[in-house]
Amino acid sequence: MSQTATRSIADHFAEQAARSPDAPALIWDGAPISYAELQGLADAAFAELEGARLPEDRPIGVRAKKSPEAIALILACLRSGRPFLLPSIELAPETLAQLFAQAGTSQVISPHGPRSESAASLRALVDDTRSGPDAPGSEWPPAGGAGGVSFMLTTSGSTGLPKIVPLQTAGVDAFTDWAAQQFEIKPGTVVANYAPLNFDLCLLDIWTTLKHGGTVALVDQDRATQGAYLADLVNDNQISVLQAVPMLYRLLIDVNREDGRTFPSVRHAITTGDKIPPSSLAELPKLFPNARFYNVYGCTETNDSLVHEFLGLADGNVPTNIPVGQPIPGVVVRVQQDDGSALEGTGTGEFMVWTPFQTRGYLKSSLNEGKFVTLDDDGGRTYYKSGDIVRRHEDGTLTLEGRADFYVKVRGVRVSTQVVEQAIQEHPAVVEVAVIAVPDDLAGARLHARVRREPDAKLNSLQLRQHCATRLARTEMPSTIDIVTEPLPKTSTGKVDRKAVAAELERSRAHG
Amino acid sequence: MDETTAKIKAFIVEEFMPDVPVEDLEDDYDLLTGGVVDSLGLLKVVAWLEDEFDIGVDDSELGPDSFRTVAAIKAYVDQARDGAHAE
Repeated sequence: MSQTATRSIADHFAEQAARSPDAPALIWDGAPISYAELQGLADAAFAELEGARLPEDRPIGVRAKKSPEAIALILACLRSGRPFLLPSIELAPETLAQLFAQAGTSQVISPHGPRSESAASLRALVDDTRSGPDAPGSEWPPAGGAGGVSFMLTTSGSTGLPKIVPLQTAGVDAFTDWAAQQFEIKPGTVVANYAPLNFDLCLLDIWTTLKHGGTVALVDQDRATQGAYLADLVNDNQISVLQAVPMLYRLLIDVNREDGRTFPSVRHAITTGDKIPPSSLAELPKLFPNARFYNVYGCTETNDSLVHEFLGLADGNVPTNIPVGQPIPGVVVRVQQDDGSALEGTGTGEFMVWTPFQTRGYLKSSLNEGKFVTLDDDGGRTYYKSGDIVRRHEDGTLTLEGRADFYVKVRGVRVSTQVVEQAIQEHPAVVEVAVIAVPDDLAGARLHARVRREPDAKLNSLQLRQHCATRLARTEMPSTIDIVTEPLPKTSTGKVDRKAVAAELERSRAHG
Repeated sequence: MDETTAKIKAFIVEEFMPDVPVEDLEDDYDLLTGGVVDSLGLLKVVAWLEDEFDIGVDDSELGPDSFRTVAAIKAYVDQARDGAHAE
């Protein structure tokens, strides 16, 4: 297997380490770790992997919280040419065990060392989930063929078992080369890594950077919501590329308001994973006086597919409805209407995409139906159906209308809770919002909005209704509005957790 | 502000938008378009009117326009009371 894989990231990394051994590869807890030092850790991990004499034809399971040792372990996996499953460490132990079993992993390994968690509990998990080729339910190899699979990531699916997404080495190579060029990642470039290690976002901020000789400043997961820590990390390390969910920018905006701090080292500020509120977007030029600003659209299955650069933000050119962006070179977009035909001209439809980076399908091939579709009328191309509804405007730009899943029926009318959130979010005093569809005997569903306002704003529900009246249809108007000042609950990916809001709502109703 | 209007406003605010100061609610604010009162809310308003002002509201009169604004509700109440006096 090691002959068929290109092992590109590990090879490039080794070349960088040979060329510039003293250059910093990582910054962790304020201290640099050189390419030579990281290579040393990776060599040790590789020797252990080899020593374990794992079966050649099975993937490895990796359970790793972000740390230099964890990154060294993944470098060792890449060097070995073996596929490896890298799920979120925050999943429940039973879920992890199911995933490792489904992937048919020969062994689950964890990094160890002074900067890693290497508790006995991890060892226990390894023993529990050890699953040989005869493991029941094992899905390996993937439907698209095992050839050259390296990373196997999981979707952040909100319901059921996360789906395993095997990524072909060639796709990862193409992506990391595109990202390096687009965001000028090269020796001397310091890139912040905000996302947890199992996220596809790391293909940009960690793996592109190490492949191209830059430096990754790792954000400690345990301090990822501490604004002052994040602000120090950006400035102390002279971060020039920053990629994160809108929450990070919100935290930095709060720091800026408190002490006026700005982040002049940042050249490329990328927001991804969620819509950035216009109120946050408008503040960014003040925080990052030397940066270009981007929205990047993508998902684990396809990796990034679209990029939008915000031009003229500093001149107040803040779009209320953020374009999802232009296709990355090589990416093919199709907007599919309800009748299955491709939309020509303006209108709405489901966003479908093919990228040079995309997976050949989920590991569990039965999941592919309805998500990956091969269209004979389109040259036999296999598209990924994103589930996102987009609108194409006269100038050809696409904007997100909402998730197909977010449509609910209110008094018989199809309403997108995301459209409602968007309208509320446009009020300048609104920090963040969650709109929940509450089941209702009479109306089918009633909308409840929980709105976090700016602490010093005097926003009440009547003013918000007046604001929405010109933007929303009658059926889209929330029945109840709850205005708060504390942050809304967040998911592990930093997005507003509507389910948690709904659960709180349910509890408060149950208690009268 | 007359007593009836004050009572109606106090009820609407308490029931549907407790975070809003009573004085912010204008007499002619469109409660329906603003989504303050929906069809279920309308039933609550009617039940309260019947109780508070001791008037009967015929279901056939339950058109939304009678309850669209505080001023409209007040007019409805005045009319219903006058009708009751005339009987």
